Formats: sequence, structure tokens, C-alpha cells
Amino acid sequence: MHIPDGFLDLWIAVVCAVLAGGTLVAAARRADGDLTDTTAPVLGIVAAGLFAAQLLNWPIPGGTSAHFVGGAFAAILLGPHLGALCVATVVTIQALVFGDGGLVVLGANVLNMAVVEVYVGYALYRLLAGHNEFVAAFVAGWLGITAGAVAAALQLGASSAFAYELVTTVSIMGVGHLLLGLIEGGITAVVYRYVADARPDLFPTATTTEVAA
Amino acid sequence: MSVASDAWDRSWVRRSLLAIGALVAVSPLFAWAAGRVGYAEPLENAAHRTGAMAHEVTYNPGLLPDYTIPGVDPLVGTFVSAVVGTALTLVVATAIARLLAD
Repeated sequence: MHIPDGFLDLWIAVVCAVLAGGTLVAAARRADGDLTDTTAPVLGIVAAGLFAAQLLNWPIPGGTSAHFVGGAFAAILLGPHLGALCVATVVTIQALVFGDGGLVVLGANVLNMAVVEVYVGYALYRLLAGHNEFVAAFVAGWLGITAGAVAAALQLGASSAFAYELVTTVSIMGVGHLLLGLIEGGITAVVYRYVADARPDLFPTATTTEVAA
Repeated sequence: MSVASDAWDRSWVRRSLLAIGALVAVSPLFAWAAGRVGYAEPLENAAHRTGAMAHEVTYNPGLLPDYTIPGVDPLVGTFVSAVVGTALTLVVATAIARLLAD
């Protein structure tokens, strides 16, 4: 889902950069105080884990491949604001050091993966967690990445390089990630369950009883 | 924080880093397997369908372009990229966390 340079019209790239930058500044302000000496290393570990996990391209029969992005997982574990900063760090390093995603369109890639995926995923998790946390994590991962893909498809479909074929980009990327997102949802739910069992105190929604236990 | 809690946290960090190390170790295997089926994501399929591939430009290939080292076996390049990228991400994100925690 990393958009390379040349795919987006400049004005779209600029608008996305402003939106992404503004969101990250607000996220940093909102997250100020969320971290303690105990939880600070978690941000680094989650970010490093996401980077490593994104390198694993799962071969899908039929000639495609998918990898875990982890935006919803980061949001559930760290809270949406730290989650956004976490994924933005990963996406930025991927672009600057590995050329994975363009430089001019970095804001768009951050917007799609670190903002849309993270906040949509987190909203879905909060909406459903009261019923079933495992299912909520699955849906968050599944539809979070789909939302990010649809956002990217809208940007691409509104650009001249894609001949303004909005329906084509949205249908290919939306449907594609709706299917591939099932893997994202499954991994999100399984890893969430493991971490929730091992370290319930790490979650921002942990109660004081859990933290004290 | 108690000493026991400290030890528990150190243990958790160690186990997490080991798990991440395992992901890094198997990254070349996944790169090989994905290459066997053909590496294509929906974004690339949409670009091919609309003729957008001709518009792709590279302003910044990066120090390790596309997770490879030029002139070196691609699987070795993937492994080195995984090590470098994971370590760099860990350092940068931890630094951001420390800034926010202060």
C-alpha cells in the first residue's frame, strides 16, 4: 500500500501531508503523559515489531502477496495517538532508508497507514470490544487496513497518473484489501489475545486493578 | 516499581526482542516465497490497469533500495535490511517515547 512518487498529483500529496502532519502534531500533544518509564519501551518494541512483520510477505496462491501492517494493533495496544506516532515512524523509515514509498507522497502514505488505518481500526475496536474483544481486534485489523487502502485508492483515483479512474482504483484496492485484510485481522486478533493475556497492564484501557495485579 | 516488577519487565522486553529477532531471521524465506508466486499488491494491479506504472519516478532510492544491497544476493540483502531497519526503528521509536515520557 506504499504509494511511490509520481502516482499522486502534487496538490493531493500536499493536502495529505498537511493532514498527516497536523494529525501527528495533535497526536503527540494528546499522547503527552500517556507514557511512563514502564510503558516507554513498548513504543519502540511495537514499532520494531511492525517493521519486521511488514517484511514478511505472505505468498497468496494466484500471484499476489500480502503483509501485516499493524496499524489497528498498534492503536489497540498503545492507544490511537501513540499508535499513529508508532506507525508513522515505521512508514517514514521505510521511505527514507529503503525507498519503500515515495518522498513527495510520504504524507499520503503516513495519512493512509498511520492515521486512517490506526484511528478507524481503534474506533471499530472500541465500538465492538464491549461485546467480544477478540472479535473486536479482528474487525479492527480487517476493516482498518481496508479503510487505509480505500483512502489511498481515492487519492490515486483522483490523480492524473491513474487517468482519474476512481472506480477502478477503489474497486481493485478496496476489494483486494477487503480480502487480504482478513489475514491482517486474524494476526491482529491472535497477537492481541497473546499480549492481553501476558501483559494486560500495558493496554491504555487497563483498569487500576489490572495494573496493580 | 518493585525489583520483581523490574525483572519481569526486563524478561518481557527480552522475550519481545527474541520474537522480533525470529521475524527478522525468517524474512529472507518469506521474500523468496513471495517471489515464487509473484510480488503484486492491489496498488500495483490498479497501476497496471490504468497505465499509471509509466508515471512512477524514484527521487529517493534509499540506502538499501527496496530492502536490497546492490550487487549482493537479494536474500542476503533482505536479511541485512531487516536487521538494519528493525534496529533503526527500535532506536528512533524508543527515542520518541523517551521524549514523550519526559
